[in-house]
Amino acid sequence: MCRIMATHKRILRALRRGPARRNLFGPVDREQLHVEYQAALQKDLEEASRRWGFDFISDKPLESDDFKWEGVPGAKVPLLYRSCMHDLGQAGGQRAAEAAVKPKGGRVGSPQSEKENIPCSPERCENDLENLEKTPERRENTGLKRKQTNITDFYQAKRRVVWMPPKSGE
Amino acid sequence: MELLCLEMDTIIRARPDPNLLCDDRVLQSLLTIEERFLPQYSYFKGVQKDIQPFMRRMVATWMLEVCEEQKCEEEVFPLAMNYLDRFLAVVPTKKCNLQLLGAVCMFLASKLKETRPLTAEKLCIYTDNSIRPQELLEWELVVLGKLKWNLAAVTPNDFIEHIVRRLPLPEDKLALIRKHVQTFIALCATDFTFAMYPPSMIATGSVGAAICGLQLDSADQSQWGDSLTDLLAKITNTEVDVLKECQEQIERVLMSSLREGRQQQQQQQTQRGPSGKGLDELDQSSTPTDVRDVNL
Repeated sequence: MCRIMATHKRILRALRRGPARRNLFGPVDREQLHVEYQAALQKDLEEASRRWGFDFISDKPLESDDFKWEGVPGAKVPLLYRSCMHDLGQAGGQRAAEAAVKPKGGRVGSPQSEKENIPCSPERCENDLENLEKTPERRENTGLKRKQTNITDFYQAKRRVVWMPPKSGE
Repeated sequence: MELLCLEMDTIIRARPDPNLLCDDRVLQSLLTIEERFLPQYSYFKGVQKDIQPFMRRMVATWMLEVCEEQKCEEEVFPLAMNYLDRFLAVVPTKKCNLQLLGAVCMFLASKLKETRPLTAEKLCIYTDNSIRPQELLEWELVVLGKLKWNLAAVTPNDFIEHIVRRLPLPEDKLALIRKHVQTFIALCATDFTFAMYPPSMIATGSVGAAICGLQLDSADQSQWGDSLTDLLAKITNTEVDVLKECQEQIERVLMSSLREGRQQQQQQQTQRGPSGKGLDELDQSSTPTDVRDVNL
């Protein structure tokens, strides 16, 4: 049994390489990194535009066989789409609301495989990142918690009118 | 009247749910969907020009150390490696950006699995500030896009309980066996050989290796009926030969890791001299292998 204990001590040693805080592959070219990031986002955005038939940069529908887009006033979209969750300030929230449109008819994406996400446009993300730079601390008591969404944000609450058997004890 | 706050700095975990662990449908579903989350290509043969297998090992080892030092949940590291491999299978990446990618993958996996996830700042410090939180967050978005936001990948860790509870193992050894299995799974995640294997096979092979390693299989041969490997193979519908090969591979990786560790240890000893504190540091290891604290 001692042999086994020793073995496992050695596995750990084998996996360790001095202090965990270290730079592995030399300096990072920041400018190049940023260029690549912009390019990657741009590419994602173009793919999403093709996929959804919608130009996400100018917030305009594109000619597309798959989707027909229809504008909806900001006040009519569910709460979730109205305010931005990072407390971006009025401008950001407003913008998100104006941008919301809903697909009408058209192809319904196959349920599991093809639901791709729409990346933000680069400008919009820049704003986000300013605010996100501090990730929440573990013990921090954040007052910025997002409001819990209720099912009634999406559906109107109605009193139940069908007859229900009285609960026991009533 | 006095008000007491009994909230503590402990991480609250859900108890093991028998509805999930004792229902065969859960294991069957895991086996059905696991292949969806495998990297599509052996990327060193095509997509990647600048990075090589040994660099993946370097970044993986670093990630494992960070996860250990931060006492992350066990599945964070294997999950992060799954993201890393899936990203590398589709995006040609420069070696100088590999550590950034590793940090992003830990960031995502930690957020998915932990109640108190790793922060961007902390991860940047672990890269010795070679990257900034801003960059980490930017690339998080890129990685998410490439993974199509499919983050809830199946990992070998998801299978441990399902396998272990179907084996006739002594109750008092279960905790120890789990630890060993977790260690083997982590070891497999550092080695590219296993990157394309289904998680269920890695889990089954690791359980086999753990039981053999602890010599629980030889203690009482009669209780196993069929051999251990046959039983294991049945649980996860793996072919016996394939499983045997996998288990042997795990044992080989283990041996070579141990050999490497021994060499490094000797090097450090000669570099630092007998009074160096290198060995003490190495001994203060945390998860996943504080097995030596367990009374054998």
